[in-house]
Amino acid sequence: MTTPIVDMRGIYKSFGPVQALIDVNLRLMPGEVLGLVGDNSAGKSTLMKIVTGAYQRDAGDIFIDGTPVHFKSPHESRDRGIEMIYQDFALCGNLDVGQNIFLGRWPMRYGIFVDRARMHGDARAILNRLKVDVNSVYQKVESLSGGRQQSVAIARAISFAPKVVIFDEPTANLSVTATHRLLETISELKVHGVAQVIISHRMTDIFEVGDRVMVLKRGRNVGDRAIAQTTEKEVLELIVSGVPETPTAPEAAL
Amino acid sequence: MSATQAVTRPIESGRGSSLLFGGWEVGLLVIMAALYLGGLYLNPAFFGSTSALFSVLRDASRYGVMAVGMTFVLVNKELDLSVGSTFGLTATFFGMLFAPSYFDLDVTTAVVACLALGLVIGLTNGFLVTVLEVPAFIATLTTLFIGRGVILGLTGGKNIAFELKADEYPTFFRIGEINALGFNNQIIVFLVIAAIGAVALAYTSYGWTTYATGGNEQAARYAGINTGFVRMRSYVLSSLCAVTAGLMNLAQSKDADPAFGLGAELVVIASVIVGGTAIFGGRGRVIGSCLGAILVGLIDKVLREGVPITRIIQVGDEKMEVAAISQLPPGAVPAFLGVVLVLAVLVEPWLVRRRILARAWARLRGLPPPVTPDLGGVAISGAQTRGTASQARGLGKRGIAAFFYRRDAAAVILVVALWLFGFWARPDFWQGLDNSFSMLLAFSEIALLAVGLTFVMANGDIDLSVGSVLALSGATAAVIMKDTSLGPLAAGVIAIGVGVLAGAVNGWLTAYVGLPAFIATLGTFYWARGIGSSIVSGTQLNGFPESFNLIGRSLFELLDAFGIAPTHGWWLAVAEAVSVQTIFVLVVAAIAGVVLAYTTFGQKVLAVGGNERAATFAGINTRRVRFTALLISGTCAAFAGVIYDAFYRSFIPTAGQLRELDAISSIIIGGGSIFGGYGTMIGSLAGAGVITLIRQLLSLQIILRDGSSFVLPQQWQNVFIGLILIIAVVGDIWLRQKNILGAWFGGMRAGEEATPAVLEHRA
Repeated sequence: MTTPIVDMRGIYKSFGPVQALIDVNLRLMPGEVLGLVGDNSAGKSTLMKIVTGAYQRDAGDIFIDGTPVHFKSPHESRDRGIEMIYQDFALCGNLDVGQNIFLGRWPMRYGIFVDRARMHGDARAILNRLKVDVNSVYQKVESLSGGRQQSVAIARAISFAPKVVIFDEPTANLSVTATHRLLETISELKVHGVAQVIISHRMTDIFEVGDRVMVLKRGRNVGDRAIAQTTEKEVLELIVSGVPETPTAPEAAL
Repeated sequence: MSATQAVTRPIESGRGSSLLFGGWEVGLLVIMAALYLGGLYLNPAFFGSTSALFSVLRDASRYGVMAVGMTFVLVNKELDLSVGSTFGLTATFFGMLFAPSYFDLDVTTAVVACLALGLVIGLTNGFLVTVLEVPAFIATLTTLFIGRGVILGLTGGKNIAFELKADEYPTFFRIGEINALGFNNQIIVFLVIAAIGAVALAYTSYGWTTYATGGNEQAARYAGINTGFVRMRSYVLSSLCAVTAGLMNLAQSKDADPAFGLGAELVVIASVIVGGTAIFGGRGRVIGSCLGAILVGLIDKVLREGVPITRIIQVGDEKMEVAAISQLPPGAVPAFLGVVLVLAVLVEPWLVRRRILARAWARLRGLPPPVTPDLGGVAISGAQTRGTASQARGLGKRGIAAFFYRRDAAAVILVVALWLFGFWARPDFWQGLDNSFSMLLAFSEIALLAVGLTFVMANGDIDLSVGSVLALSGATAAVIMKDTSLGPLAAGVIAIGVGVLAGAVNGWLTAYVGLPAFIATLGTFYWARGIGSSIVSGTQLNGFPESFNLIGRSLFELLDAFGIAPTHGWWLAVAEAVSVQTIFVLVVAAIAGVVLAYTTFGQKVLAVGGNERAATFAGINTRRVRFTALLISGTCAAFAGVIYDAFYRSFIPTAGQLRELDAISSIIIGGGSIFGGYGTMIGSLAGAGVITLIRQLLSLQIILRDGSSFVLPQQWQNVFIGLILIIAVVGDIWLRQKNILGAWFGGMRAGEEATPAVLEHRA
């Protein structure tokens, strides 16, 4: 049995009087694409922010590659190979594509100067590897469409050579063609062995690229199904009227 | 269904907090009582009398009336810095209409005209902020400067008296007099306005829409509230309150002094913030603001009245005891109020939201600390990848075409055009070496401030204190050279150290404490100038060592001092035309330009200004970047202060006044944005050139056909510069960021193609 890349056990989190997460478990295997679904306020984003260290859990254990971790900030989880792509992409619109991909770790010359030639060359290489259609690495990000801004955000995440990529509502603001391209990119990443979590409301997207789907309801696990063994209808029923249950063994899904 | 109950268990306690009166107000009353007792102890002769109490209340009532209007503005998450100049403009306007030496109208007409003026000012502020989307602090700061310029322009700095004519209209002027009950009628006006304001804010839909708009404008708009109207009317209300306060003041003074209302915006905003209103909007009560106004008025009075002492003086052989009042030097009061403003603003984020006192108290008693909201750091605060469509259209263009797509192109073109215009208007004067020399000198002061400020504005922050820090550093250097045995070198180093310190205070408050930059630097704007003018005791200092003054001389004089001056040829001409400070500024600007454009620090600055959240995620220490930028700005202002002393061979407390306006305008004209993320050093230098040229052109002596000549007075120039700043900001927002022109032209060319893209970016 392989070690899960992410293993969360018995996670609790409350905001004042509101219990956002109650005894939530999540396991993610290497190279697996997991759809995380649920109604609004089900706790999807909170759970993912706890993985990345943006929030601190109240109770529970998290293991990355089998070792227990306690991330204090997203920077610490990045060092362990976890990247999150935010709904608003978190890019600097006033900078160009190359500058954004290497935001904060621009290649340097003489210790203080930015090596622009190398930066743009490397950026081009990453975009080519990802097979996304961003025309020029010299373009300002704000002049790109939403889908291409997302491509830049993904390219940026990929440049860290992550083991896990978390997408927060990746298709919420995208056109149909852009969504299609994104799903291709996700499959491409899967080929490279990157495990992915996709927080989404759109069941069709998850059924197209996902291996497994996990359902949260009011901060509890209510379902965990392999895509091959379930239907959209069943997952929808779980979202609306699921009852708490323990997740199935994830390896069954692979 | 226990899960449901666990999640949605409601908490109900009491009747909810009152919008009229609360614990904050009680605290203010206690502090006021303590202060009054303190005043009683220090100066029983003054504070012991009821007339003293009434005189404090009388002076506070004018601030109180303005504070009522300001409460609505601040609860709306807006800011109105123009109340002080509106207050002063009311006096000037009324004086000119009413005084026999001017238009000699009756009092009703004058009052109605003043109210109309207030309406116009309020609508202008509101229009700029709500329709044109200019940030409130920059819009109203400009209105403040324009208003002050108009006051000086209209009065020529002279007092307008109408005391005799005032006797003909006893009804109006009774407002400023003491009534049969022994107190001034202004107090009654104040109480009436405060009562109306308090009830309106706490109990009417008028007030509740104000709270809703300030709390979450988007939510309020979705709920069907016309938030644009709500924001607009708060500015009108604030201006009308300022006019009312101005009229109350007039009724008492029976003359119009151009200095009326100078710095009143500081007292009013400090009062409202002290009164418990949050600078971040959505929280505040009128009664608190009024108590705040009385408290700040009381502090003001205590500071101004001073402490009685007995001084022993020698008259011939005899020693005499003379009773005197020990007063603080001029400038101490605004300095103190600036500090109060900053401290009061800190209360909301630290005491209220993070509950520092409650946690400390719990720790003292060994109990677990109370629950504080999970601030969640950068992960929660939302920031969009801001869209401006104007960029990257020039991609793939080369040479001149690429240049025109640069944000700083306009400034460079303007510099050339303005210079040619000057040459056309007055060729005899313009081509002279003297003119070029004096323009380079004026340029170097603005450019030096702009160099530092470029980093701050590229970061998305603002530094309103550059002119004041210039004055503080200039004052420090001057005082050290005059009053101590330390040499000019030590004076320069200490003065620059003081500027660095002021920059560090700005940076710390902004980056680490979390104040908005405009409010932190507004505090410094007041305290730095206040301290500067109080250490020189409000007087002019001169007679510095000549070795020091060389910093402000031409290159020839510097070389001559070392005995290596050129004697002939082009080298002599250059040495005479170029001053040391110009060279210094160009060297500093070159270094700063390279840092901004080519180093990682420069990239970090632009990244933070573009999207602070993204920069934080990328591992950039955004706080340190913002701190450093404000530090650089303070340092540049300090350099400018030392050069100022050396160039003028003297220091006056008004040094660098209005320079923040010039510097901000320079940067925005030069391609920077008031929202951050943009700016180049070449652009800022070109922008400084534009401002210098405009000032120079405005001060040109125009020779008319009939042989007479005309020169625009200095005060009107400032009005023009204010207008230019507003035009630049509006142009930046609407032309550069939202690309209105591009959308129009694009729409014409490509049909529907361009519009959705623009709309998407605006969303």
